[in-house]
Parts: sequence; C-alpha cells; structure tokens
Amino acid sequence: MAKNTPKARLFTVFLSLVFALFSLQIPAHAAIVTTGEIASAAQLDVQKQQVIERLLQQDVKDQLLSLGVDPADVADRVASLSEAELQQIEGQLDNLPAGAGLGTVAVVLLILILLEVAGVIDIFPRL
Amino acid sequence: MRSALLLRRFSCAGFLAAILLLAGCALNAPQTAQLIDTTPDGLPRRHLIAQVPFHAQDAFQCGPAALAMALNHSGVAVAPDDLVSRVYVPARQGSFQVEMLAASRAYQRLSMPIRPTLEALLRWIAADQPVLVLQNLGLSWYPRWHYAVVIGYDLDAGKITLHSGETAFYTLPLRTFEHTWARSQQWGMVALIPGDLPVVESEESYFQALAAFEGAGGRGVGKAWRAGLQHWPESRNLLMGYGNHLYGSKQYAAAAQQYRRVVALNPEYAPAFNNLAAALVERGDRAGAIAAATRAIALDPGNAARYRENLVAAQALP
Repeated sequence: MAKNTPKARLFTVFLSLVFALFSLQIPAHAAIVTTGEIASAAQLDVQKQQVIERLLQQDVKDQLLSLGVDPADVADRVASLSEAELQQIEGQLDNLPAGAGLGTVAVVLLILILLEVAGVIDIFPRL
Repeated sequence: MRSALLLRRFSCAGFLAAILLLAGCALNAPQTAQLIDTTPDGLPRRHLIAQVPFHAQDAFQCGPAALAMALNHSGVAVAPDDLVSRVYVPARQGSFQVEMLAASRAYQRLSMPIRPTLEALLRWIAADQPVLVLQNLGLSWYPRWHYAVVIGYDLDAGKITLHSGETAFYTLPLRTFEHTWARSQQWGMVALIPGDLPVVESEESYFQALAAFEGAGGRGVGKAWRAGLQHWPESRNLLMGYGNHLYGSKQYAAAAQQYRRVVALNPEYAPAFNNLAAALVERGDRAGAIAAATRAIALDPGNAARYRENLVAAQALP
C-alpha cells in the first residue's frame, strides 16, 4: 500500500506540475498558421488553441470512459478526432445516434409489422 | 349483420390510417421518384460493386462490421473484431458516426461524409466506391440505428443493394431505403485511398476531411492535396493546406509558391502573407520575408503579436 505522508503528497503535486508544464509546450512550427487552425476557423493564439483542444479531448475522453470504453483504447480514439468533431460531440454522447443493428424487437410489434408492409420502415429484412 | 361487418372494415381502415399518421411521415419518396423519372446526366441506370467483402455482424456490432467492409474494399486488411476497440461504445451498444470517420483515419484512409442526397449516394456507387450509411430502421420515436454498406442500385427495378447485418447483397425497394435513410439525415461516408477523388462534391467537405486526416497523422497527404487542387485549383484553403504540407516537409520554395498563389487570389488574407513570410525566412530571403510579414501585420492587427515573430526572424537574417 502506498504511504500517504505529506512528503509523498508534495511529491505527487510536484510531478503533476512538471507534467502540466511539459504538456503545454508550443510546437516547433508556430511560425505558420496551421491547416488545423484554418479548418476550425479559429485563429487564436497557438497556446490558447492547444489548451482548448486539450480540454475538449479530455471531456470527450471522460464521457467515453463513462460509457464503458476501455481506458486502454480511449486515448487513440480521441486522438483521431478533429477539433471540429470534438466540438460537435462534446457533451452530446448520451443523445447521439449509436448505430447498433437490431436487438430484440418486442415493443409494438403489430404496428411495426404494418409499417413494414407499407414500406415505411425496414426492421424485418426478410419479410 | 352486414352493417356490422362494414363498420368493422371501416374501423380496420381507420386503425391503419391512425398508424400511418403515428409514423409521422408521408409515404411518398420524392428523391426515389425523381431519380427513376428523370435520371441525372452521367448516372447509369444500374450498377453493382460485386466484389465488396462481406462480414456478418455480431450482436449490436454493425459498426465494426460495416467499417471493416468499407476498409477492406479500399485495400485495408482489417477484421470487424479489430475495430471493436476503435468504434464500439458498450453503454450505448453501438457506434458513433464521428468515431467511424476517425477510425478510418487510424487505418490511413481519408474518410469523408458524402453530400446527403440519394443522387450523391448513387454517384459514389456508380464510381465503384461503396458508401457506409447510417439508417434508422425504426421510427423517429422508436429509433433502431443501423450501419450498412451500400454496394449497388437498379433504377429500373427501383431497388438498392446493401451488405447489411447478417445479409450479404440485401436488396430492398429504393423508396423504403429512402425512408430509413432520411431518418438519419441521410448520413453516409466513404473511406478513400489518399489521392483518390472519384466523385466531386464540395470543396469545403474535402478540405475538412483532409485537414482532419493530416491532423490525425495520415500519410500520403501530398497526393491528396494535389488531387483536391486539380478539381478546385483556386481554392484558398486547399492551397494553404498544400503549402503548409510542403512547409512541414521542409520544401520551402514549393511552399512559398503555393502561398504566393493564395495572396495573388486573396490579397486581403493575412495568414497567407504570414506563412509566406515563414517560408521565405527559411529560404533566407530577408527582403521578401520582411515585406510579407509587414503586410500580414497591417492586414490583421489583431494577430500582430503572432505575425511579428516572422518579422523578427526575417530582420535577424543576414
């Protein structure tokens, strides 16, 4: 078991500070307005931009984790999303459509069959 | 006796009408009718991409299965199981659209939402490019979200063909598909090999797709920028993107050439002057870099602090 002495706590705080500082480093190519900035139509201060993107990523990461995504996968998944996409889904994951295919269709079966026959829906592929 | 029977018949018809009202949508399928009536120029009446690999979906996992089919067709060897950890969300028992786009990038394919019309969908199919679609097979108030891959259509028969769920070559009436697709706002995506652009839609969506692809570490982006510029040679964003790509790979002379095209076409666009200044600094062109940086600062004083970096770097040149 880890000791929770004041010293150990201080060390943890120190470590997190070091990490925070390192993760806020400006990239080498700050000299140009990047394609990502043009795509998000947000030409902010490079540093501000990076902080915003990092916060967005963190939010979406937390939401995916709360929906049961494996912690080992979540970083890669979020890294592939563009800033525009992050903005689009941030805070929305509970309401977004999640394509699943068909589970059990138990409710209002009769209505569904009638609608199927009328060609409004397509729940029963072989009907 | 007889009137009772009639009454029963009427109430039956009334019941059906009520249900159709509940469905909340008219039964006509305007796009289907239009396409069958007056087929647009250059769109064949029928086409089938016969060789799209098929994967039957496991429970709830139409996302990974559909994505694997689309990626396989573009030459990526990946199985649905490999994609579960990329796109499946356990608590929602499904997959989100943006993650389908993002996962394609992780496999080096340029993913792009298509223009949301039936005509655009069929044009991609006619160009041998399968389209991964989101459908709501149920109703707006009883949603059954589902991913499938469209692989063919036949306007004479009024049919469309999908690899869907557990069924390969599932063929259904185009008008039924139109209904199920309309309920997802007609969302579809393609996974392109970088540099391919068989169907030309919107410059903005191509730029966005490519910027996201490059931002996610996509390879072969040079080809993809050039493919876009072939169709939209004067696109400001594509020229900037290509210039930035060249700058990033240290081809400063070629980058400067792209930025020069942008400023010639958009003499008020400060970022192009700024980036031109950055490229000229790398080339050691002191006078040119100072002129470009000065212009950027004059055009957009709000970002002067940032643009001044290149001015300072230029002035430090011998």
